[in-house]
Amino acid sequence: MVLLLDLLTTAAMLFVVTAGLMMIFGVMKIVNFAHGALLTLGGYASYVTTQLKLDPWLSWPLALIAGVMVGMVVEWLIVKPLYKRPLDAILATWGLGIVIGQLIVMGFGREVQFVDSPLSGTWSIAGVDYSAYRLLLVPVAVALCLLLTGLLNGTRFGIRTRAVIMNEALASGLGIHSGWVRFVTFSLGAGLGTLAGTMITPLSSVDPNMGMPWLVSAFMLVMVSGHSMPSLMLTCVVFGACQVLVSTYASPVLGGLTIAVLAAVTLRIRPKGFAHG
Amino acid sequence: MAEARTDRLPVAGQQTAPIRSGRGLLALGIVGLLLIAVGPWVFDTYLLNILIKSFFFAIAAITVDVLWGYTGYLTFGQSAFFGIGAYAAGLVFTHSGFSVSTVLLALGAAVLVTAAVAGLVGWLSFYRGASPFFATVISLVLPIVLTQLLLSGGAWTGSSSGLTGYESFDLSLEAWYWIAGAALVAAGLLAWMVVRSDAGRILAAIRDNESRCSYLGINASLVKIALLVATAVIAGLAGFGYGSFSGVVAPELTGFVLGTELIIWVALGGRGTLWGPLIGAVLINVATAYLSSSMPFAWQLILGVAFVLVIVLLPQGLVPLLLKPLGLGRQASNVPALAERAVSGKPVVSDKPALTMRGVTKRFGSLKVLQGIDLQANAGELLGLIGPNGAGKTTLMRCMSDGADRTSGEVELCGNDIGLLPPDACVRFGLGRKFQNANIFESLTVAECLRIAGTILEKPSLVRCDGILRLPPYALDVVRTTELDRKLNVVARDLSHGEQQALELAMVLALEPRIVLLDEPTAGLTKTERTRIGMVLSSLAHRYGLCCLLVEHDLDFVEEIATRIVVLHQGTIVMEGSFQEVVNSELVKTIYAGSTHTPKETT
Repeated sequence: MVLLLDLLTTAAMLFVVTAGLMMIFGVMKIVNFAHGALLTLGGYASYVTTQLKLDPWLSWPLALIAGVMVGMVVEWLIVKPLYKRPLDAILATWGLGIVIGQLIVMGFGREVQFVDSPLSGTWSIAGVDYSAYRLLLVPVAVALCLLLTGLLNGTRFGIRTRAVIMNEALASGLGIHSGWVRFVTFSLGAGLGTLAGTMITPLSSVDPNMGMPWLVSAFMLVMVSGHSMPSLMLTCVVFGACQVLVSTYASPVLGGLTIAVLAAVTLRIRPKGFAHG
Repeated sequence: MAEARTDRLPVAGQQTAPIRSGRGLLALGIVGLLLIAVGPWVFDTYLLNILIKSFFFAIAAITVDVLWGYTGYLTFGQSAFFGIGAYAAGLVFTHSGFSVSTVLLALGAAVLVTAAVAGLVGWLSFYRGASPFFATVISLVLPIVLTQLLLSGGAWTGSSSGLTGYESFDLSLEAWYWIAGAALVAAGLLAWMVVRSDAGRILAAIRDNESRCSYLGINASLVKIALLVATAVIAGLAGFGYGSFSGVVAPELTGFVLGTELIIWVALGGRGTLWGPLIGAVLINVATAYLSSSMPFAWQLILGVAFVLVIVLLPQGLVPLLLKPLGLGRQASNVPALAERAVSGKPVVSDKPALTMRGVTKRFGSLKVLQGIDLQANAGELLGLIGPNGAGKTTLMRCMSDGADRTSGEVELCGNDIGLLPPDACVRFGLGRKFQNANIFESLTVAECLRIAGTILEKPSLVRCDGILRLPPYALDVVRTTELDRKLNVVARDLSHGEQQALELAMVLALEPRIVLLDEPTAGLTKTERTRIGMVLSSLAHRYGLCCLLVEHDLDFVEEIATRIVVLHQGTIVMEGSFQEVVNSELVKTIYAGSTHTPKETT
């Protein structure tokens, strides 16, 4: 039972962490290498909330707003000029990640910090006591998945976004401002990144490199899953399960590498990705 | 593709550039050699130490430049190979002591392990249809996985503190300085010779247009894997030198942070120049050593900001910009002389038809684009393939040239079943395909494009530039007819649309194909050029005995040169015959008038 809950909550965490990356990759076809730094930024949003003795729940909106604002500036200054040079764009976002990391080090120091969790204690499920906050992440991830799917499929913005994904030239020709769609997507994706950072901090600690361990797994999950949020969810469940199983029965170190290695091999054997079956 | 760079000199500037830049480079090289020769008497011990390490790092930076600046493969993973080399020294000397045999053992391990890992990473990263992002992400995974493995290695790898205090070569600091300097010079010269050689141009061709490479019979994935293995071994040897010199190896040497630093040095130094990254790596290392103690965080921040600024604003890097006043520009290549290559004297005497298609079908989901295609064409035939837009003409050509494309059916080229083979294998069976839109290497010159087209016939040299460009007579005809021979040194991107079309045609013919697929070869050409190209095409079939397949909308043009017409409509062949038969048939008239549904009275 604990194993099952571990599986579910790990998949939920992976999905939360990956959703923002997916949003940007799906529309803009670039991998946002600054995603790790955004996660870290979200962690420090929690830290600031804790330091100011505010309600820990406030860290969620705070992180989202901070991330969206950073995303807007970054899209405008760095991503837009490089849209025709995608490999340079990922390099620039990577460089930006380094800059954000250094700024955080200068502002908050290298020390490991701890934050207040908005929800502490355990819940009892089928006779097992399990961390309430971890359990909370499962409905959060499902809600996020539904929300983003709804946004992409049910709204006018979503239709325009999908038009840009399918055929940017045609979409522009039909009067859709593709630059605007990219701007909104990138900002939103960045906001989701910082939000994810905030969400995962109560389960670990905050330090300037906290985003890194997640980054590679998130990259690989996005590469494998294709372009839709539900398929990303499915990928997170499958690969998250593998990670938990390897961590439990082999060693945690190998568990940390499971997703990257499995995904690389999956893509090599099935280049179109996992979700395309 | 990502390197849509704007740092090419304008055409006019190339006439004067070679002499000046040659001199500038020479002067720079002499200054560098002098510094390496007299260093021990000029620099203090601390600086010598820094320089020796930075020389080893600079070798790794050069390998990154070859992979990224020239081939377009952005990699964070060269640090892993550097680290493997360093750990080979550290592990062997710690656990087996230091002697001649263990040195050989460590060197062998450095070479073999880096080569094996690079081969594996290459296999994972480079395959048909792999996106460049994917290869980059894999290159980031490699150092992270390796660092984790080293961290979990316990006492054997020294875990997070690494290995230290092992016995190593007993050499003076001066000797190390000269050895490291000589190794750097050797690595730089080797890389310089290779990227400037004829074979080195293939790397740029892969960066520009991988699909065209494949249709010239070049297995781009294999080339990249081989290149990765070679550069990995060099980076590994540099790491071996570093590990032997410093007497300390730590997991950071394999990490992605070092991998990122290598990229930063290359980007700031100027990618695709070799000497830029070399200077960049050495200068930044020295600066870091002096500045990181006085302003530890600010210096990293400055580097990061400078890196982002350079990527966005100055993709060609800083060092070339600083040295521009010295007359150091990108070098123009020499113009080779054109020569005729005798067509390899094996006229196809086989009784097999050049092209056979049996029951070929192509579906996209439930949409049937082609069905039940049976087609045969012999050497010496010039088939005109006509049909209204959307009839499936281009799809049909794709099914002939890429084994993975058709849904069912059989295709044989010169008697070889293509199975599921990729385009480069089809090209080796004797196929040549000219695309509808000019598909060339945009950043290479006309001469370089033509040279690369002959790669599978004449193995290009790894170290030299051939002064003579040999082409088969019919390719030469195309080049002369369209006056491309006067523009051999022009970068293909700057050609007119018609000239690009002609260049692609010449490249396809330079393959000496047995079967030529031509998708609207004369689109964008003037009337006179059309007539001349028409003559070349008919001579291909009639004089040289090639089998040509031509998609063309201009019926007058088809009438002049085609020996047989095939009419394609809604994915099936509805008629075959001479031009007169086809043009006078009621069926074809209705098809082109567009008033009929699928004709029932098909042959």
